[in-house]
Amino acid sequence: MKKEAFFWVTISCGVMIMAFILLPLIQMVISPSMEKLYTTIKDKDVFRSIWLSIYTSGLAAIISFVIGTPFAYLLARKDFFGKNFVESIIDIPIVIPHPVVGIAILSVTGKDYWIGQILHELGIRIMGSTVGIVTVLVFVGMPFYINTAREGFKSISPRLENISRSLGASMISTFFRITFPLAWRSMIVGMIMCCARAISEFGAVVIVAYHPMIAPVLIYERFESYGLSYSQPVAVWLILVCLVLFLILRIISIPQKRRA
Amino acid sequence: MKNTGLRMTFVSLLVFLFIAFAQASEEPSGKIIIFHAGSLSIPFERMEKEFEARYPNVDIIHEASGSRRAARKISDLKKPCDIMASADYTVIDELLIPEYADWNIRFASNRLVLCYTEKSRYVNEINAKNWYEILIKKGVIWGHSDPNADPCGYRSLMVLRLAEIYYKKPGLYQRLTSSRPKENIRPKSVELVALLQTGHMDYAFEYLSVAIQHGLKFIELPNEINLSDYHLDNFYKQAKVKVSGKRPGEFIWKMGKSCTYGITLIKNSPNRKAATSFLEYLLDKNAGLKILGEMGQPPFIPARVPTEEMKARLPEELKGLVEVK
Amino acid sequence: MINPVRKLTRGIKPRVRKIWNNPVASHRVFSNGINIENLRVEFPKFCLQDINLSIGKGEFFVLLGPNGAGKTVLLEAIAGLIPIKRGRIFIGGLEVTHLPPEKRGIGIVYQDYALFPHLTVLENIKYGLHFHNIEKTEARKRLNQLLDQLNLRPIIKRLPTNLSGGELQRVALARALMVKPSVLLLDEPLSALDPNFRGEMQVELKGLHQNINVTFLMVTHDFSEALSLATRVAVINQGRIEQVGEVTDIFQRPRSPFVAEFVGMKNVFKVKFNGTKALLSDWELELGRGVEDSQGYIAIRPEDIVISKERFSSSMQNSFKGIVSKVLNQGFYYEIHIRIEKIIFKALITKMALFELGLTEGVPIYLSFKTTAIHIF
Repeated sequence: MKKEAFFWVTISCGVMIMAFILLPLIQMVISPSMEKLYTTIKDKDVFRSIWLSIYTSGLAAIISFVIGTPFAYLLARKDFFGKNFVESIIDIPIVIPHPVVGIAILSVTGKDYWIGQILHELGIRIMGSTVGIVTVLVFVGMPFYINTAREGFKSISPRLENISRSLGASMISTFFRITFPLAWRSMIVGMIMCCARAISEFGAVVIVAYHPMIAPVLIYERFESYGLSYSQPVAVWLILVCLVLFLILRIISIPQKRRA
Repeated sequence: MKNTGLRMTFVSLLVFLFIAFAQASEEPSGKIIIFHAGSLSIPFERMEKEFEARYPNVDIIHEASGSRRAARKISDLKKPCDIMASADYTVIDELLIPEYADWNIRFASNRLVLCYTEKSRYVNEINAKNWYEILIKKGVIWGHSDPNADPCGYRSLMVLRLAEIYYKKPGLYQRLTSSRPKENIRPKSVELVALLQTGHMDYAFEYLSVAIQHGLKFIELPNEINLSDYHLDNFYKQAKVKVSGKRPGEFIWKMGKSCTYGITLIKNSPNRKAATSFLEYLLDKNAGLKILGEMGQPPFIPARVPTEEMKARLPEELKGLVEVK
Repeated sequence: MINPVRKLTRGIKPRVRKIWNNPVASHRVFSNGINIENLRVEFPKFCLQDINLSIGKGEFFVLLGPNGAGKTVLLEAIAGLIPIKRGRIFIGGLEVTHLPPEKRGIGIVYQDYALFPHLTVLENIKYGLHFHNIEKTEARKRLNQLLDQLNLRPIIKRLPTNLSGGELQRVALARALMVKPSVLLLDEPLSALDPNFRGEMQVELKGLHQNINVTFLMVTHDFSEALSLATRVAVINQGRIEQVGEVTDIFQRPRSPFVAEFVGMKNVFKVKFNGTKALLSDWELELGRGVEDSQGYIAIRPEDIVISKERFSSSMQNSFKGIVSKVLNQGFYYEIHIRIEKIIFKALITKMALFELGLTEGVPIYLSFKTTAIHIF
């Protein structure tokens, strides 16, 4: 008898969670009519917004990949004094409230601060620019890439790399011939996670750049100005974009799980 | 013996509670929701503190935004609200009366200035005569708030139009607006202050009160263009700006007028009693209005309503605090 | 015929002459295989210290020790995969201490073989060719040799995930030997195999070594492997080398209690010496020879202990009465624990003998051993 009750508890929790996640989203997606969705995406502002969101998060993912990969590799392979501390620092962007991130980046890139002065000399503009948006997105998305890539590298036995070196390969050759072909899946998964995180960022971006408008800012602005019915269709399009990303993530990571 | 003792304690407890409750129900209590203009943030914060200190059972919840957006929150989004204070009283007239409000009290004035900091470009050259030439210069980042959301936004545009007329430089408005890309617009004028302070923006149009409250440097503009003097309303009328209407796709033409702040009680206010108490406090020349004056925002003492008829619609407690003007 | 070297060195001082004449016994001679001088490796919780080894070219050298003794650390230090604190390493006569692994001319075979899972067997074997300038015909010749020698042709197109333990090991060997290393490092290569299969693989490994001119350095914890494969052995424990020498030498003349136990001497006791006698707890053992030290260790092999129902009166000077405390079935023989007062001796006995003597726990029994069976150190 006891076993039965436990079983039902687990099932009902599962159902509640599924409903909690799916109901609001399904409601949102089926609310606007197909015609409305079509006119919405044809609206130049909406299209530009969504494209900007995709483009900036993609860029953030690529930058995370380029800069984060060597560091993730180091963290996977080497133990050093203060490593725990360093790994905690990498996770800081995840726990900081988003508006705080935006304010911090704005402060450090302003003419008040030496970094801001250098940027000003170089003619690079952060506030209200795509560069600023990408900066914010890299800040919030990088930890996701680094953590995933690091675990991916860890899962490859260092012995394989040792053997490669004993056979005459330099560290770089080993990385490209052995480590990378075995770890590329984790790296893609990491990039997609970074991308997904970046696309949904609002609070940090809106402080640094109101215009150009990324999709979440546009949705919020429309909601504030004109209400639900005007903002919902844009939200639906953004949800669809995120779902596509998510699907790709699942397709790529499933073979990995099966192998493990 | 024990029984009586217990009963006595119980009864006295009840009496005490009853008195306390009665006491409490006389004083204002509960939540008061205020939507107000961004430029009123700092004076209102001080007023809230004083009011809550006087009546500890009150909790004031405020949302600052552009005044037009605030009105939309009430009319379109049907967000619950007790008091709405707008940087432009006409917003209340146009978007809230008669469905959501009955009356409109004008309680303070303001004027526009051009703010900057010591980090701004050309900070050593700019003055009241050449400001519009500096703004057009390449590399100067300047902005104002969103005209569709915030009165300060469309007022800034009016300043530019009036400048063209006043300085007799045709095409100046066009040249000025094209040197200010969309990225330099923010929904709420107060956000521009942060951008000035961090050095991301060189110049911004703001209310005098905000400049003073935040310790910014500013250029005083000629009265003919800074919307300060209601005597010059006829001159101001020449500036016309298009802003979004009630529904997407609709537009309203705004005519230049001196900056006049308005405040009202929303019709289905959740906490009418406490809200009225707060208005009493605000409109008191030794309380709320005094704070406004101290913070660089000249109040109307006493506050004004346009007609006797509107005065009659006011709650009893407020009738004594306004005049018809 | 006089050893020509001896003739030449007659003039040199006797000590040096001894070293020249007997290079194998001393480990301080420079050879063309592997030379390690004063090596020290430091880890947070472990240290390899004062390692001095000289391994001759073409030798099959075994590094023997329990788990955690530092065998793999030493191997990886020689390979250049971990940083060393102090010391020098020479391979093939050249100093490699500061060279990266890819330039040391070593091959590695790990316990889990570590084949590249995303490459086929053939691609695995040919991997090293990318980084060595070997002429095409020469490379092909070598490849064919290895494929035939190790019987790998049937599986060259397969991926490592589908191979058996033995196949994996052979591919790992072929891959390492393809680039003609001067030294092959093997880290417990047989531990992952089935016990039945191990014997077969030992033979194969030995055969492979004899056919090619490569120095083998193998690491293991299994003494019997060392016995069958090695020319010389070094016993390592807790980061230090305890003894180096030929296999039989270590087997018969262990120099410390640890080595003794490791090579299967189960009766190791601490004793006080007095002339030709050793004092073990309360009673005396006759050693048959004089010992200078006042205290030390003795060890007796279980197989050297004779068990009888009555006291042996013959040549065995050490004969004592005890009680059987335990009988352990070891498969083909029995291990018997005999308690004499506080000391427990371990002896071996066949099943037959066990029944004949009617031995079970508690039965009184005599044990005896020759004085020559007592090893002193």
